[in-house]
Parts: sequence; structure tokens; C-alpha cells
Amino acid sequence: MKLKLSAPDFVRRSLSSRLSVLLALLFGILMLAALDYVFTQTRKGARQEAEGRAEQVLDNTVLRVNGILEDVEIAADNLEWLILRDITDPDKMREYSNEIVRNNAILNSCSVSFEPYFYPEKGRYYSIFSYRGPDDTVLWKQEGDDSYQYFYLDWYLMPRLLQKPCWTEPYNDLEETDDKVMDTGMIVSYCKPIFTADSVFVGSFSLDVSLQWLSETISAVRPYPNAYCILVGRGGTYLVHPDPEKLFFQTIFTEGLDHPDPEAYELGRAMRERKQGMMEMKLGGEKNYVFYKSLPNIDWSVAIICPDSDIFGPLDMLHRTVVIIVLMGLLLMMLLAAWLIHRQLLPLRTLAVQAESIAAGNLEKVLPAMDRDDEIGVLSQSFRDMQSSLVRQIDELTKATAARERLDRELQIARGIQMAMVPHTFPEREDIDLYALMTPAREVGGDLYDFFIEDEKLYFCIGDVSGKGIPASLMMAVAKSMFRILAKQGLPPADIARQINDIAAEDNAQMIFVTMFFGTLDLSTGVLSYCNAGHNAPVVLRHKKGKAYFLPCKPNMAIGIMAGFEFEGETLEDFRGDTLFVYTDGLNEAENAAHEQFGNERMLEILGENQRKGARDIIEIMNQAVAAHVDGAEASDDLTMLCVRMAK
Amino acid sequence: MKRALPFCLTLLLLLAFFPLSGQEILKPFVFTPQWTPQAQFAGYYAALEKGFYREEGLDVKIVHPSSTSSAMDRIIGNQSDATTLQLAQALELVDSGIELVHILQTSMNNGLVLVSRTDVSPLTLTGARVATWRAGFAQIAECMSAELNLEYEWIQAAEIINLYVVGAVDATLAMSYNEYYQLLQTDLIPSENSVYRFSEHGFNIQEDGIYMSRSAYRKDPDRAQRFARASRRGWEWVRDNPEEALDIVMTYVKRGNTATNRILQKKMLDEVLRLQLDQKSGRPEFRLVPAMVDQASDLMYRNGMLKRPIKIEEILP
Repeated sequence: MKLKLSAPDFVRRSLSSRLSVLLALLFGILMLAALDYVFTQTRKGARQEAEGRAEQVLDNTVLRVNGILEDVEIAADNLEWLILRDITDPDKMREYSNEIVRNNAILNSCSVSFEPYFYPEKGRYYSIFSYRGPDDTVLWKQEGDDSYQYFYLDWYLMPRLLQKPCWTEPYNDLEETDDKVMDTGMIVSYCKPIFTADSVFVGSFSLDVSLQWLSETISAVRPYPNAYCILVGRGGTYLVHPDPEKLFFQTIFTEGLDHPDPEAYELGRAMRERKQGMMEMKLGGEKNYVFYKSLPNIDWSVAIICPDSDIFGPLDMLHRTVVIIVLMGLLLMMLLAAWLIHRQLLPLRTLAVQAESIAAGNLEKVLPAMDRDDEIGVLSQSFRDMQSSLVRQIDELTKATAARERLDRELQIARGIQMAMVPHTFPEREDIDLYALMTPAREVGGDLYDFFIEDEKLYFCIGDVSGKGIPASLMMAVAKSMFRILAKQGLPPADIARQINDIAAEDNAQMIFVTMFFGTLDLSTGVLSYCNAGHNAPVVLRHKKGKAYFLPCKPNMAIGIMAGFEFEGETLEDFRGDTLFVYTDGLNEAENAAHEQFGNERMLEILGENQRKGARDIIEIMNQAVAAHVDGAEASDDLTMLCVRMAK
Repeated sequence: MKRALPFCLTLLLLLAFFPLSGQEILKPFVFTPQWTPQAQFAGYYAALEKGFYREEGLDVKIVHPSSTSSAMDRIIGNQSDATTLQLAQALELVDSGIELVHILQTSMNNGLVLVSRTDVSPLTLTGARVATWRAGFAQIAECMSAELNLEYEWIQAAEIINLYVVGAVDATLAMSYNEYYQLLQTDLIPSENSVYRFSEHGFNIQEDGIYMSRSAYRKDPDRAQRFARASRRGWEWVRDNPEEALDIVMTYVKRGNTATNRILQKKMLDEVLRLQLDQKSGRPEFRLVPAMVDQASDLMYRNGMLKRPIKIEEILP
């Protein structure tokens, strides 16, 4: 069955699993929070270090590139001085041009070019071009003809228009030698306008540098294994880039023409605006950090692109390893905790099994002794104590139950005896109709009734012993027996009452008393003699009056209270055609669950409504009415009714 | 020796026959597009690469001009059988006495734009320095400048974009399919306000067409028509296969070492194909529009660029 439990059920039902999972969760959360903090801080540190390193590398690169450019610019200044000094001598231009290339290894070539017919003897075109030949020799040639009109080329035109020195955009210079075209690669030129003393533009000269120089300088910059450096010119052109496809012909904004690339635009504009900074951007799907800085004297900007994995790769690897170790540790801890807790709680399981066994009735099961002082030891001891206490109590309960059962049996017997003491056979005569009913509230009751006919006289009584239960029933037996003995002697009701009272009151330490009503009906004359010893006044239904009312009674004391009390009897002269209803207070004082009494009015009303009915019918109707009123509430008192009806 | 005689005779016959017939069949047809290799000429590359010229019995050689020797120079010097020229260039040549025959028109719209370097309309820059091509193409712009009294100072250059980039000029001319995209990829155009499109201001004069010297045409009109037919087929193929056409263009670009990239060429091809659509019909019509020829002629004559008005009939076969 356990194997079929789902994980949550298993966790729910197993304390050790639940505790270990909770522990692992708690530790996991704490550990991960701590690790996250540590990782965030270390990443921040790594980032700062990367920024510092990139900034340093950028500064160095900018310095080196700038150094190259400044060398060229200084050479240009020197050349300018020489040109202006000997501007009148065209042949000197060749000499100086060659010299400057020879003396500056960084220079690819140099050209000194003049406006049309500046030297009339040289014609429309005069441009000296000196360049580095094989074996580092310096060669030269005079350029310019109708098919090569240098006036329209950048390096000539830009300084003329700007009227100041400038660097050209990179261009591919094809050197045409006698028999072939030689590609010298991409170059940039630093060019200066030549002005005469009276500020007339007469020509330009340019010093050409292979971008290879810059490329080698910049490409060597690798602060991280996969990092690379780029040089971006005016308009975002890539002057140095590891991807040859992008070099010169593509700008930082080109791909944005095909699909929007806001990051590239942001970077390109920042670089163009000569800003220095760092930004994150996605390149080829990977996050990169781009550090950029512009060159001081030219609209070029250097950027170092560092892949995120280069900067944070080792750190991330460390982080992953630590997280894996922590997770494995947590798993191990969870399993170990589960095992340990399971072991510690094993006695509880044993106790649970024993408790089930005890619950099943096996009280003699011996609990294992436990040599522990902790809570489980205490629990085990408590459990043992509880078991022995339970055994003892159950034993006592068994005995008590047996005693009770015996008492119940005896009471049942006593009830049988008591019920047998009152007559259940009613006279079957034309002149009289009699019926009685006694219902004890407990097994035995304190009510009584009796009747018999002798010498054409009906002797009857009804009584109610104070208290209930066995003492009352014993008193009832005494009273009933004495009534029978004394009535047999033909005594009038008042005498019967007096004699019973005298006997009962004697040695009545328990102060048990009985209210009784005694009656003698002379069947031949219809005279009813009676004596009421403290009992409820019976109800009489006189056919002549047609209504029910309480029989007037002298106020005698109850039987057993005071010896020697003189009871007074009374007489009803003609009872023929009338009905007498005698009862105990279990009738009119019967209470329902709301403690409302049945009441005398209700009793009189029922009797009035049913005065023409027989004795038995009256009692049964009254009994049903009481049962309806009580409505299942426990009876608080015995209920006894006796009804005598005499024919006319 | 006796045995050798028939062999020698046969050899002589073969030598006499094949070179002659070879000359007849394989005489190259030299075609010069007016600029360096780029998508502007995709239809001709496609016609050559897909064998459309060969199917017409032509051995076409595509020879591009250098940046200092224009297509105009090549046709004047009879270095090329045919060349592409803008309509205004052709009118200039005819005006100068060179008889030309128009054999195919590709452009139906004007692609010239004028871009200022500041955030103002070029029309507000009176007397500004404006970069223009050394190789021509600026006739309509010069007319516009004169008509609107803008008095632009035209700065001829081999590479006009660089002058704009370094700020050596106030504005530059550009072709909507070429330099305009080069400018866009520098991100230096201040705003759309800085861009003046001639086609939108009453100067929608068609541009590229194929021209031959009338003397060359007269020698073999059928050959010229076959060239025009295969060229048109090339352009139609390009419209249907733009990606493959771009691949072909890029092989020419690499061979010619053109300073460009695939994205620019893609943009150029899209724009060139757009300019080939007639504004009314929405289709490429491959024809000269007489009204446009008249407008160009009037404009250029009015501004002193032509000595006389030139009628369309003068350039038709």
C-alpha cells in the first residue's frame, strides 16, 4: 500500500519525510539566497574589474594608434615646411616626397600634387607620387593625365575644400606599374593643403598609411580570449574589424537598414559623438560588453567587444558548480535527515502499533522498555502508565458493571414483586366499574393502590410515598399491606388512616411519609366514605352536576409524620351514577422538556369531556394525554390513577 | 611528301574556314554600364550569367568604366558597342554631335536626390557647396539649381559620399538606389527634411537606357535588337528571382572590388526595380516616354546645356 502512495501523500503521512523536506527547503532557500548574494557581489566585482581592464586596454590602444597618427602628422608638418621653402622648384618636390617615404617606415607612399598649370612648364598635371617598392626601395613617378585626374580624388579635394589638414576615409589604392596593377590594400591618407604666402591654394600633399598598421596594432588587443577590438571611422565605417566582410564597405549602422538594430545605432552614435563608455549589446545572439573611446585628434573611435562568457564565464562555471554541490548536499542532507529522524521516531511507530493493539482490546500487550530520557522516552513511560491505569480502570468498571447488573436484576425482580402487589384483576360487575394503572418512574416506585370487595363494600386506596426508589417502595409495601389488613377488619377510612399512621410514624427515623386516600363504597347503599391523608384531592364526576370537580377533603396530615394524629373521615351520601378519579401527583405535575406541568385544568378538562366513558377508557385517555404532553421527556415521578364508577 | 600534301591542304582549309567563321560568330559585343559593378546593372549580369545573350547569338563582354573614365568617354572613343546612359547624358552627347541610338529603356523614373548635411531643405541652401559626380549624372540637378536660382557651387568628385561624411560640402547629390543608401548607413542624414527627391518636384525624368553610336547600330541593327531583347529578358528574370540575382550581383561586386556590401546591394536592387515601374501602369514598360524626353530637352535647352532642343526621333533607331 505504501508504495502506491503519491509523493505528497507520503510526505503528508511521514513525519520524517516532512521534516526532512522542510529542513531541505529551509536550508535550500537560505543557501540559495546567500549564494545569490555572493554571486551578485562577485559578478559586480568581476564587472568592475573588466571595466577597469578594458578601460586600461582602451587607453593603451588609443595611445598607440594616436602615436602612429601623430608620427604621420609630424612627418607631414616637416614635409610642408620643405615644400613651402622650395615651392618654386618642382623637382625639389620629388626629392622631398621620396625622402619622407624613405625616412618614415610607417608610410606607404606620399604624393605632392598641384593645381592645373601651377608649374606652366609641367603642363596641366603635376603630381609626384613616391611609394615603397621591393626591398624597401623608394620609387616615384609623375602622375596625372586625362584618365587620372587627381583633382577629383579625396586626398586632393578634401584639404582643398576644408582648407585644413585632414584624414581621408579609407580607400583601396591600386598601384599601376608598367605591366600590372598592384593592390596595396586599404590605406588612409593624411593630407594637407598647400597655400602660398598669400593664402592661395596651389595643391595638396598626402601621406598614405596602410591600414594594416592600425589593424595589426588594434587586432593584437585581446583583454579576453574571445574579445576583439574594432576601429570605427566617420560615418561608422569599420576601419578595423576581425570580419573582413565588414571592413571598409560596411558601417556600424548597415545592418540596421535591413532590420532595426537600436543597440547598434546607440553605440554608433555614442562613438561618433566622441563619447567614452560601456554598453551591453547582443551580437550574434550572445550578450557582449562593448567598451569604447574616441581618438583625440581624429573622428575615429576604438571599441573593445568582450563576450559576456569571457568576462563571467569562469565565474558562472564556479557558480554552477557551487550550486550543483549545494543541491547535491541538500539532497544528501535530506536523505540523511529522513533516515535519522526515521530512526529516532521508530519507537513512536512501535508505540503506535502497540496502541492499535491495545485499542483492539489486547490490554495485556507488554510495551517495550525504552532506555531514553528524551520526549520519546517520557511519552513511552506515559503510555505505559496510561496502559496500566487503563487496565485498572477497566477492571473496576467490569466489577462495577457486574454489581450494577446484579442490582438491576434485583430491581427488576423487586419491580415484578411490587407490581404483583397491586391488583390487576378488576371486578366484573354490573354495579361497579373500576380500573387502575400504576407506572413507576424508576424500576420500583413509591406509589400504590389497592382495592377489594367484601360484604358488598368496595375498599380502595391510593398512595404516594415521599421520595422514590427502593426506600419508597418498601414503605409502599408496608402501607399497602396494612391497608389490606385493616380494611379487612371493616374499619372506616379514617380509622384505617389513623392506625397505619400510628404504626408508620413510630420509629420513622427516615422521616418517610405517605400521602394516601382511603375510600369505602357501600355498593348496596351507594354511600362513599373516605379519608384524605394529605393526598391530592380526587376528582369526582357527579352525573347530576354534569361536571368534574375536586372532592372536598378535610385537611389531614400525611401518613407517618406524627403518631396519634386524629384523621377525620367524610362521607358522600349517594355515589350512584357518579365517578371518582383518584391519582397521584405524577399526573398533574407531569412535566415536558420545557418543564411545563400537565396541570389540574387539563386533567379536569379531560375528565369533564369523558365523564360518560368507562373507567378503563378514562384512564387510558388520561394516560395518552400525559404521554403526549411529556413527549418523551424522562418521567420525574411515579404515575398512578384509579377510577371508580358506580352504576345508577 | 606526297602523303603530306592532302593533309596540308586540309589543314589550310580548316585554318582558312574556322578563323573566319569564328570571327563572324564570336565577335565580342562590348557593353559598358555607366558605373562600377553593382545591382544597378543586375539585369545585364543575369542575361549574361543565365545565357540569354548567348541564346541570341551574342558574345557579350561587360566592361565597367573606371572612376576617372566614364561611360560617355568610352562610347565617344568607340571602346564599347553599347553603354547605359541616363537620358540627360544621351541628350548632351547628341547635342555635341554624337549620333546615338536608343535601343532599350529600363528606368521609368528619376532617382536623383539632393541631401543637405544640416536639418534644412537643400532648397534653402543658396550658394551651397554641393558634391556631384565627376562622371556626370547631374544635368537635371544643375537645371533645377539654375531654375530656382540656388546658385549651387558644384564640387565634382570621384567619391562624393566621403566629402559629405567629412563635412567638406554642404550637400551632395545622390542616387536613390546607391549613394542615398550609403548615406543612410553612415546615419549622418539629419532628417527627411534634408532630402530633396527630384522625382517628387516636377523633375521625374527617366534615366538609364542602353545606347549605341548610330554608326555601330547601322552596321548590324539586328545584333543591337538582339542585345536589347536579351537585356530586357535579363531584367525580367531579375524581377522574378531577386535573391538569385543578388547572388550574381555580389560575384560581380567582389570581382570589381566595389566598396559595398550585400545589404546595400539588396536595397539598391529593390530601388532600381521600383524605378523601373511606370507610375501610371505600375508595370515595367521598357520604353522612352516622349513627354519625359521633351521635358528633359526643354529643361536642358532652357538652361543652356543644349544648343538646340532634341526630339525623341533623333535617338530612336
